[in-house]
Amino acid sequence: MTTETRRTGLAYGTLGVAVLGVTWEAVGRTEVLGSTFPPASDVIAYLVDPAYRSLFGRAVAATFWSAGRGFVAGSLVAMFLAALAALLPVLKDGMDRFVASIHAVPLIALGPLFIVLMSRSGTPTAIAALAAFFPVYVATAAGFDDTTASHRDMFAVMGSGRWVRLRHLQLPAALPAFADGLRLAAPASVLGAILGEWFGAPRGIGILIVSSMQNFQIDQLWASAMLAALISLFAFAVFGAFERLVVARTR
Amino acid sequence: MSQAISELQVPITATRPTAETRASSRPHLARRVAEAMWNPARWFARRYWGVFAIVGGWHTYVTVMDVNRIVMPSPGSVFTELATNPGRYVEPSISTITVAIVGLVGGMTMGAAFASLSWFARALNGLLTPVAVILRSVPIVAMVPVLARVFGYEQRTILLITIAISFFPTFVFVSSGLRSTPAGSEDLFAVLGARRLTLFARLALPSAVPNALVALRLSAADCILAALVAEFLMGTRGLGHVFQDTIGDLDMLTAWTAAVIATTFSVMLFLLTRRLERAGQGRWSI
Repeated sequence: MTTETRRTGLAYGTLGVAVLGVTWEAVGRTEVLGSTFPPASDVIAYLVDPAYRSLFGRAVAATFWSAGRGFVAGSLVAMFLAALAALLPVLKDGMDRFVASIHAVPLIALGPLFIVLMSRSGTPTAIAALAAFFPVYVATAAGFDDTTASHRDMFAVMGSGRWVRLRHLQLPAALPAFADGLRLAAPASVLGAILGEWFGAPRGIGILIVSSMQNFQIDQLWASAMLAALISLFAFAVFGAFERLVVARTR
Repeated sequence: MSQAISELQVPITATRPTAETRASSRPHLARRVAEAMWNPARWFARRYWGVFAIVGGWHTYVTVMDVNRIVMPSPGSVFTELATNPGRYVEPSISTITVAIVGLVGGMTMGAAFASLSWFARALNGLLTPVAVILRSVPIVAMVPVLARVFGYEQRTILLITIAISFFPTFVFVSSGLRSTPAGSEDLFAVLGARRLTLFARLALPSAVPNALVALRLSAADCILAALVAEFLMGTRGLGHVFQDTIGDLDMLTAWTAAVIATTFSVMLFLLTRRLERAGQGRWSI
């Protein structure tokens, strides 16, 4: 990509986002979609209002905490299962199917299960872990296969076992794919935590969103939804940077 | 790596599976059928041990931990409930599936249409792509309460949500697919004097089919999830409404049965779309 096309792309991008913002503001000001669609400036003003800082702060901390714990737990389990499938190829086919089916389970259908299995405050973490699990498993499993034939031949000729091959060949080869999986898992775990909170967690962004929906607090509803989107974008950006770092180092 | 790319959400333009990797990862159909005929039990266990693990684990947990049946019913009692009262679940299931599939088809049609328009008009593409990329990283399912408040607690709101869920991925994937034509092919079309419309119909559109199928697989399960979430929060009708109603009344048997039905539909739709995607890749990929 030349600097010229990149600059045009950036200009279009800025313009596109600006059009989106202006449309939002205009729709809100003119109340075309009714009073439940506030202008962007009102929502931002509400979000930065010091009066609500501690409210939003506590909610963000709670959601961040459960999403983060779920993210770590889901990624660890995913790595473990991917490594297991790499060591025991007989499990691979069924494992892939099993994981894909788990992923297709609508996360909200698991609400009844988690309410029984753990506390209401643990449910967001569990659903976040499940949401993070799938992208990390798929990426890591594919990364383990991402070795060259000549490397595999060399390890075979030197008489290395499956474990040595996993540790010294497949693991390093899987790093970029693994980082890519983390990048997709990060926003997924934020969404998972929010869904989990809807089953009655004591606090969090999800609770704020639902209670302001039920109580007709329109500005607060939009502000907390915007906050959820920002957290999700932030998680995506951080792990996007991490992935670029890993790819640059392993190249 | 190629498998990961298509399985995840990144456009697969750069690293599509080559004929060679596809052949090695998917044995020939005749061989697979022969394998299945030779030892059906083993073939079945190898592919579907996960399902048995889940149902078996659930049954064992309920039996060993001696959980209160009212809180967590066993798999057997859920199947009995489904067999004795199927009528309770027919109407909600049809409602949820219909709204999810109509929204999926509508959103994908609109996404593909906008992607095609922006293929003809570069300015439109420049404007829409960054917006679509940003909105794609926004958790739309978490925005259901906002949309419910704006458009009302009605069935059409759920439809709008499922349309939005499938629109953005389709737009992004089809756009990149329309541009990922084989190297040199555009030059060939130009040399032979093809018009822009011919170029679109004969080259760009076919090369976007695999990407559209990836978008279909990614959106399908999300549409069902979004429909359930919306029904759960708004309590209009459908399986999500059954959850909300019965969890409130602590009628866990009904809640679990509805969850099992929703899960089965979602997994079946996922497997179907994955099969379509693989068939499409075999037919349209270079």
